[in-house]
Amino acid sequence: MSKFDEELLNLKGMVLKMGAMVESAIRDSVNSLVERDNEAAKKVIERDHQVNALDVGIDEECIRLIALRQPMATDLRFITTIMKITTDLERMADQAVNIAERALELNEEPLLKPYIDIPRMRELAQGMTKDALDAVVNRDSKLAMDVIMRDDEVDDLRYGIVEELVSYMVRDPATVFRAMKITFVAQYLERIADHATNIAEMVIYLVEGKIIRHMALPEENQVSDKK
Amino acid sequence: MSGSGETAIEARELNFFYAGNVHAIKRVTVPAYRNKVTALIGPSGCGKTTLLRCFNRMHDLYPKNRYEGEILFEGNNILEKTTDLINLRSRIGMVFQKPTPFPMTIFDNIAYGLKLKGITKRSELSERVEKALKNSALWDESKDKLNNSAYDLSGGQQQRLCIARALAVEPDVILFDEPTSALDPISTAKIEELIISLKKSVTILIVTHNMQQAARISDWTGFMMLGELIEYDMTDKIFTAPSEKLTEDYITGRFG
Repeated sequence: MSKFDEELLNLKGMVLKMGAMVESAIRDSVNSLVERDNEAAKKVIERDHQVNALDVGIDEECIRLIALRQPMATDLRFITTIMKITTDLERMADQAVNIAERALELNEEPLLKPYIDIPRMRELAQGMTKDALDAVVNRDSKLAMDVIMRDDEVDDLRYGIVEELVSYMVRDPATVFRAMKITFVAQYLERIADHATNIAEMVIYLVEGKIIRHMALPEENQVSDKK
Repeated sequence: MSGSGETAIEARELNFFYAGNVHAIKRVTVPAYRNKVTALIGPSGCGKTTLLRCFNRMHDLYPKNRYEGEILFEGNNILEKTTDLINLRSRIGMVFQKPTPFPMTIFDNIAYGLKLKGITKRSELSERVEKALKNSALWDESKDKLNNSAYDLSGGQQQRLCIARALAVEPDVILFDEPTSALDPISTAKIEELIISLKKSVTILIVTHNMQQAARISDWTGFMMLGELIEYDMTDKIFTAPSEKLTEDYITGRFG
């Protein structure tokens, strides 16, 4: 294996490490809410600087490789993809911090209702994150497309949650404080799924050299999804 | 292909055999679009220089070399036996790897080809020499020493003199065979800028070992291997997302 291939492998390792941190931040932040575990919430907030440090470290390594190796074709696409997706990963971790902060506030209040759809959203968003990263590592555009398709499901869940919470607020103003906070959590999870979608879109660029951001999905893919 | 414009010269199903029947170019079809730079890249021995030298029939200088197929230039197949090679090579000029100034003055280096074309009037010669030197970005450095030997110039200046010499006879196409491989980075940058500015008046085909150079100056790139053209596309496509695995392996340095 050439030195450059070793460096690319090392870069891949850094991204996987960052991805694993983000996945656990998403899981732990929602668990801290569902299980009313303040210690878990505080840990998510404390660990965020590790994700930030890795974000900077990965960017520096990418810039170094571009300057010294002058990568082309697949290597160029890989390195630019990494530079872009770390921004998404870093923001996902920030959203997890937001969830943990809301958890700390909500855990001080009586439970409004059992959390059912929030864990479901968490599961979807975390699964999308994992698959998007697997798609990057394995250069799997099919899996990436699958992630992109799943984003609608998350959007639908958020819409359902917000509707239900609004009905609580209308019936009983005393619930407004808690219902608002839970609405925010649903919003954060939806944003996490959006970032996972961004990562998946970059995989299409990585594999096929096509930038599909801000484009309507190609029809054939919509059809294949319905099968 | 879209955005490519008019074809200046084109090889079609071109085969070339060196004396002794070495099949060096295999069924290559490649256009060079007018006022564009087309780069040919590939590993040593892939045939890129051999292909370049077909375009003005340099191979005819050695007996028993053989072409098959066509090279179309202004509607004619220049591989026909009736082609006037002296005229062809003034229409399709060439600049080589190492500077090749003639052992004469700077002025005479450029006037030489003009005199061969029958231009003898001193005033016209002076005018054409000045124009060629200006177009090759050598005028400011050489205008006060036109009667000095061309060997007094630096390597980079000598190469620009060779470009001026090719330009003086007002060619349609200039073939560059690794024109900067013997030059330092500053002279290389000057030649690259020059090649880009020459596009306005001529069509350029360039063979280069330096992939970054191909990326910097060309509009179209052809990748060759073992005498075949593996891929030909717009330069930014070739260097960001080539279609062929072989191209990908070569430009990312994972060859073989």
